Amino acid sequence: YRDLHTFELQAPTRVIEWAGGSRVCVAGYGQAGGNEILQLIPPPALQAKETQGLCPERDFKVECGGFSKRPVYSLKYVPDTSLLVTSGPPDSSLQVWQVSAEDSDVIKSVSTIATENAMGQPWAKIATISARASWVLHGSTLDSIQITEVELRKNVYTAGSLDGEELAGLAFLDSSTAVLCCARGRLCVADVRQPRGALQALPAPAAPCGDRWCLGTACATQGSGPGARPVARLSSRGLLTLTDLRKASEPLASATARVPSPSSGAEFLCVSWAPALPGCLAISGFDGTVHVYDTQSWDSCGREAEPIFVHKGHALDGSGDPALVTVHMWHPQKPRTVLSAASDGSLHVWDWVQP
Amino acid sequence: MPEIKVTPLGAGQDVGRSCILVSIAGKNVMLDCGMHMGYNDDRRFPDFSYITQNGRLTDFLDCVIISHFHLDHCGALPYFSEMVGYDGPIYMTHPTKAICPILLEDYRKITVDKKGETNFFTSQMIKDCMKKVVAVHLHQTVQVDEELEIKAYYAGHVLGAAMFQIKVGCESVVYTGDYNMTPDRHLGAAWIDKCRPDLLISESTYATTIRDSKRCRERDFLKKVHETVERGGKVLIPVFALGRAQELCILLETFWERMNLKAPIYFSTGLTEKANHYYKLFITWTNQKIRKTFVQRNMFEFKHIKAFDRAFADNPGPMVVFATPGMLHAGQSLQIFRKWAGNEKNMVIMPGYCVQGTVGHKILSGQRKLEMEGRQILEVKMQVEYMSFSAHADAKGIMQLIRQAEPRNVLLVHGEAKKMEFLKQKIEQEFHVSCYMPANGETTTIFTNPSIPVDISLGLLKREAAIGPVPDAKKPKLMHGTLLMKDNSFRLVSPEQALKELGLAEHQLRFTCRVHIQDPRKEHETVLRVYNHLKGVLKDYSVQHLPDGSITVESILIQATAHSEDQGTKVLLVSWTYQDEELGSYLTSLLKKGLPQSTS
Repeated sequence: YRDLHTFELQAPTRVIEWAGGSRVCVAGYGQAGGNEILQLIPPPALQAKETQGLCPERDFKVECGGFSKRPVYSLKYVPDTSLLVTSGPPDSSLQVWQVSAEDSDVIKSVSTIATENAMGQPWAKIATISARASWVLHGSTLDSIQITEVELRKNVYTAGSLDGEELAGLAFLDSSTAVLCCARGRLCVADVRQPRGALQALPAPAAPCGDRWCLGTACATQGSGPGARPVARLSSRGLLTLTDLRKASEPLASATARVPSPSSGAEFLCVSWAPALPGCLAISGFDGTVHVYDTQSWDSCGREAEPIFVHKGHALDGSGDPALVTVHMWHPQKPRTVLSAASDGSLHVWDWVQP
Repeated sequence: MPEIKVTPLGAGQDVGRSCILVSIAGKNVMLDCGMHMGYNDDRRFPDFSYITQNGRLTDFLDCVIISHFHLDHCGALPYFSEMVGYDGPIYMTHPTKAICPILLEDYRKITVDKKGETNFFTSQMIKDCMKKVVAVHLHQTVQVDEELEIKAYYAGHVLGAAMFQIKVGCESVVYTGDYNMTPDRHLGAAWIDKCRPDLLISESTYATTIRDSKRCRERDFLKKVHETVERGGKVLIPVFALGRAQELCILLETFWERMNLKAPIYFSTGLTEKANHYYKLFITWTNQKIRKTFVQRNMFEFKHIKAFDRAFADNPGPMVVFATPGMLHAGQSLQIFRKWAGNEKNMVIMPGYCVQGTVGHKILSGQRKLEMEGRQILEVKMQVEYMSFSAHADAKGIMQLIRQAEPRNVLLVHGEAKKMEFLKQKIEQEFHVSCYMPANGETTTIFTNPSIPVDISLGLLKREAAIGPVPDAKKPKLMHGTLLMKDNSFRLVSPEQALKELGLAEHQLRFTCRVHIQDPRKEHETVLRVYNHLKGVLKDYSVQHLPDGSITVESILIQATAHSEDQGTKVLLVSWTYQDEELGSYLTSLLKKGLPQSTS
């Protein structure tokens, strides 16, 4: 490690979102209500260029907070607005919140984006892109995908699909295309320029049934067009597949991560590309560790790959039940800095040294 | 409704200069009397004019309580007691009483000697002020006067810091001062019992902070020391005699042992004696670990840490030195600093806050050229690092304390207004208590609901229990009785028993009213008419026609006589006791309306 900071949140979080590179948001996911959404100011060391060891300000500060009755499973800032949206059980609606840090330190609930037949549906996955202000792409199943313009509360796109398969993740590739990943691994692409559009399904990789998948895409501002960066998928058995969407019939590369057999299912599976390190991605959600891989050496055989770094901090802390890493997130500018959170409420910020 | 009034004179909504005035059941208590470290003028003292306009302070205030020795909680005390004028008792814990004068004197020296201020308290004033201090032990209930009592609880934070409970009758307030809910290497965590005060006044400085873990700070500290020593540099750590110094020593000792380091670590002797002395006195104020080490060996007999001699500072090679005073404003630490400042391989690590005007403060603000006595310029090439291990409660800690004490109301001080709204809502939602955040000079009134215990006589209880359904435990039950107040006890008894005890005879009040009715018939016919009428109207009441010609409605008696002068008019006499007033007057108005024209 070059640097490691450990913090303890009052309640564990499964979301870490950056707001404009200078604020971090976390939220609780307890079933009993009383969950807090906290917008944090990271310590200056995280924002500065050089790391300082004994900087006087080493703590996160809660800039503002809000209270959510629902557990927060997903949270995204709405670009160019002072709003953020959250989603969580028991249905697929979205909650809209107002953040006004200068006036008061309370994040207020302003409205709800209801979805049709929302009751009983799994929680919605959310995506935004900075090129499209106020747009929120959301849905919980393939037939409930839509884009809502949050400030005008208008629906601007609905995917025409009759397939009710559960979604594992969705993301904007650029301002006109979105990619969707089903829980069973299938990928679809949607052109969002028209208010209604069909989904274009892509051939799925040959994967054993019963696996659950999750999606990781590169930050949509980089590159141009859907092929600039491959899309990564992670299965609950540790299989990582990279797909170039222009040639989706064959995976670009794949590898297997050495992970323990899935225990509590794929609840917290998370895979993400490093914004500043080409070809690097991180995975978590199997146990108390976060693995970082360099995919540039991979081929399409699916062999077991060696991580270039493993963060074990969450597994070592504490004496009770081993913690499970719930989410991780790269720092937008600092190339090797990652934030990770675990089910015991810990929040780590770490910066590793390239071996 | 009884109320508790709280007015912060300082630390209402900013940090520094803590001073809170509490009015409870007619008693006035001042909590802390701090100095604001950021100002050089009158703004550094709390605004005492708020109280002085009410007359002499000694008459107005029943006592002053100081929570701990940090200057932002006791710095204005000599000014307040000797220059503004107060002769009443000042309460603080034993360690605080021992350490306060030292810090105050140090502070006085810096302000007067170094900064050249004139309107400041003198050494004699500090001594006179401390003469008014009454030291208290933890969990000892101290009677300030017949009605006011106070009790100190362990607060962690620094040696001798306490939270105070102020109680008058059944109303109480708990003031936390600065506290810490997680134990550290040399202090335990704050603790309070389920005392259920009407009000808890808590600091909220760090409520919005999510602190870096202790381990990370310590690791970084050790890394810096190690790096400096490895390259042959010297590390200076200016400390105040107690508290953090012990922690850092233990830390370094363990690290040296583990890494098998050879560089010498020194602790200046003046420090050792004083520290030893204080620790012997106040060992119960530290945590288990320290107590154990103290029993096993002398506090400062570390394997790797030796006593310092002035000459060692000139020795070549790496070393680490702990020296006083903590802000580099005078004495040994300043001497060593001057010797080592010119070498960039060396490092100085400041472990805490430095007052403006001290060398410590200057170098922390980035100054690299310092003017010393005799116009000498000292160039600071050594590395300057700051590290704070000071312990305050964060949001989680505040919630823990509220959970322990179970107050009915919470008041927050020491934080910024805008930044406390979230915490206020959090507290209100979780504990369903009201949360207040007054600004300086703003008075907050908290209404209390004191319960007054009353003894009830067995006879009355039995009688009331016999009437009506079994009383519901959660619903108030209305009962009639007589309240006897004698000395300080209250008793509720039945009226008969009260009369008996007091030797009074019961008087009966009976009202009689005359109602004129036009009826030419004979009296007994009129009576029958009245009877039938009343029986028809008052279906829920017992209406009876007695053989002697009178009518009774419950216990009210109605008799008819002929008018003495006019045979056509009958006079109805309606008579009732005081208890039946309501029914009686109703009957009267009913009869006044006349009888229905019907055949009887």
